Amino acid sequence: MENLQQLFIEAGTLMLTGMVFVFTFLGLLIVFINVVLVKLAKKYPDAIVESRASSKRNNNKQDGKSVSPAVVAAISSAVKQYRQQHSAQK
Amino acid sequence: MESLKLLWMSTGLANFELGQVIMMLVGCGLLYLAIARNFEPLLLVPMGFGAILTNIPVAGFSEAGGLLHFIYYAGIDTGIFPLLIFMGVGAMTDFGALIANPKTLLLGAAAQFGIFATLFGAIALNFVGLDFSMKDASAIAIIGGADGPTAIFLASKLAPDLLGAIAVAAYSYMALVPIIQPPIMRALTTEDERKIEMAQLRHVTKVEKIIFPLGVLMMTIFFLPAATPLVGMFCLGNLMRECGVVDRLSSTAQNELINIVTIFLGLGVGSKLSADQFLNAKTLGILALGAVAFSIGTAAGVLMAKLMNKVAKEKVNPLIGAAGVSAVPMAARVANKVGLEANPHNFLLMHAMGPNVAGVLGSAVAAGILLALVG
Repeated sequence: MENLQQLFIEAGTLMLTGMVFVFTFLGLLIVFINVVLVKLAKKYPDAIVESRASSKRNNNKQDGKSVSPAVVAAISSAVKQYRQQHSAQK
Repeated sequence: MESLKLLWMSTGLANFELGQVIMMLVGCGLLYLAIARNFEPLLLVPMGFGAILTNIPVAGFSEAGGLLHFIYYAGIDTGIFPLLIFMGVGAMTDFGALIANPKTLLLGAAAQFGIFATLFGAIALNFVGLDFSMKDASAIAIIGGADGPTAIFLASKLAPDLLGAIAVAAYSYMALVPIIQPPIMRALTTEDERKIEMAQLRHVTKVEKIIFPLGVLMMTIFFLPAATPLVGMFCLGNLMRECGVVDRLSSTAQNELINIVTIFLGLGVGSKLSADQFLNAKTLGILALGAVAFSIGTAAGVLMAKLMNKVAKEKVNPLIGAAGVSAVPMAARVANKVGLEANPHNFLLMHAMGPNVAGVLGSAVAAGILLALVG
């Protein structure tokens, strides 16, 4: 019985330290994302954003006849996702 | 006559023991769940078949020199197979939703309460005559992380005797996520809370996605080196996916390699489903504790989301908290489905992927803690 009591105390300590550590670790990760990654994102934006702008310019030149591949990809993935959701609901 | 008798003695019929027959039926049961009910078929088919093979009398699949013996010791005892699977999972994981909404990491952390609370449950079962040591209890508790490879990795290190039962419990409950989670989610949330719509996620740049796995690895090296085998392989897979220069490797890690390893992992785990290791009261205890671990993890995630809503200005739908128990992407789909029931225009899938992948990291960290403190 005494041995069991000791095991319970050990389990309690493990739970406390474990949860505190998991929260601290993932909390630090939040800080890492907010401090490092967000700054990096501002400093090095994606090339896609530029290509969108350039494709807009291209579109203007061609009187809007062609649609940029990025837009096509976005629309088709949205449609695909909607269909998947729709079929999953059924 | 003598040779006829010898021939009879070498047949399966003459050598069957009751335990072997029961375990073969368990193997058939796993095959049924996989094939007819589509429960985690990728793992349960080889695992169920492995269970049948390992219980064949005379053939000696799991004895020294047998095929399954080699597979088990080469891949599972060493921890290589679960780690390779983890690399593949990393290559399949998109951290975009998590980076866009980092506070969902807290939901992934809260859901790990299921793991640590189950430790108590496992120790408490000693009162009813089961004999679980702290190592056993830790290996069982990790089922609450809802992460198959992590559970197998930890069980192979802390309690190899219980590996079969733990793996069966972990994968069974992962398949049962759509049945276990929704009642708990509905019980802990109001209709209005389930209707909460969340703001659209921001765009996450390529540089962020490349630096993220490196950052996670760096933090694990600094604070929890015991978790680096799991987190390291996961981050390698993820970096291969995001860096954009090794698409071939990334594709192999998330397709061919993970498929090959899954076959062997299933067979290896199946080899542990022998009568003497599986047919005992401990297995029943493990199955019961697994369900408790899952339920507590789900509840903790939902309650954490509710707590965050009390403190933060920007509301989160508490349903996505349930996705904190990893089980990617099933748990996120469940959150999405329950959300759609309350509000047909509310698509929570992408929002739920944040806590979902946070849960994978959380359970790897929890496994590292258990390894460091108990192992």
